[in-house]
Amino acid sequence: MKFLFVDLWPWWLAGIIIGLLVPLMYYFFNTALGVSTGYGNLLKIAFPKIKLKWLNTDTFKNKSNWRFLFIIGMIIGGFISARVSGMPFINTGMGLFTQKLNWSYVIYIIWFFVGGALLGFGARLANGCTSGHCIHGLATLQKSSLAATVFFLLFGVIGTFFVKLLVLAGA
Amino acid sequence: MLKKIGYLAAGIIFGFALSRSGASQYDFIYNMFTGVNLKLAFLMATAIVVGAIGMLILKALGNKDIKGTQIKISKKPFNKFTVIGGMVFGLGWAVSGACPGTVLAQIGEGKILSLPTFFGMIFGTYIYALVAEKNNIND
Repeated sequence: MKFLFVDLWPWWLAGIIIGLLVPLMYYFFNTALGVSTGYGNLLKIAFPKIKLKWLNTDTFKNKSNWRFLFIIGMIIGGFISARVSGMPFINTGMGLFTQKLNWSYVIYIIWFFVGGALLGFGARLANGCTSGHCIHGLATLQKSSLAATVFFLLFGVIGTFFVKLLVLAGA
Repeated sequence: MLKKIGYLAAGIIFGFALSRSGASQYDFIYNMFTGVNLKLAFLMATAIVVGAIGMLILKALGNKDIKGTQIKISKKPFNKFTVIGGMVFGLGWAVSGACPGTVLAQIGEGKILSLPTFFGMIFGTYIYALVAEKNNIND
């Protein structure tokens, strides 16, 4: 059981399980695997009276629909994983980013907020994120997802190159 | 009710798998983008192949869901915003060391700095809604 609950899974095991979610989501719920649209649900739950027309399309008619429950499930999944593997309840670091830098928390918060804003805005412009485009979209052989995946990865590499060069190297 | 538990369970499986494989770690993503360790890329490639095989099996069985309804594959539009959004998203991936799915697993793991990423994502979604108000983007 240590293999499943304490050690990190080999990449192929997680790949198989996540890959299976694509047909399973279609089979059981007749819906495409995807996470980022659900952030629209969260926005609407936080600001129910929001008037913007995109947030009042049919997609968000029921703001606590499957996308919302799926998001809550993912948080619970992370929580269960942390408990069974013995991670601390609270972790104030973010890998080698916080290990190498000695910034104040205010700057960290701004940094990650900006990163999140780019993710949220970019995912909506591109109409999907890593799960919706890279996994679901490529598994269903969509041209749009191939283009999105290429640019996700290309700009991930370029972005990380500059983060390494300009931010982490000086630390 | 059963369906709601199903949605929740699917999310739990996804979040658990992301966390147990290390995909929700900053270093995992950083190491993929610097070419040091490509485990995450292999993980994604495996998921795509398994997903594609699963979709072929569903197709061979008549493309019906559990209730017998025809499965409707969600078609994603392809236009210039796919490329622009892809670039913006890629930069966000590099800056935050997370994606919209792994940040949720990070919250569950108790990583405090996942919260600004999470709220940033909601803010970015709001900015999209503002931009979409005056421009025809994907509809």
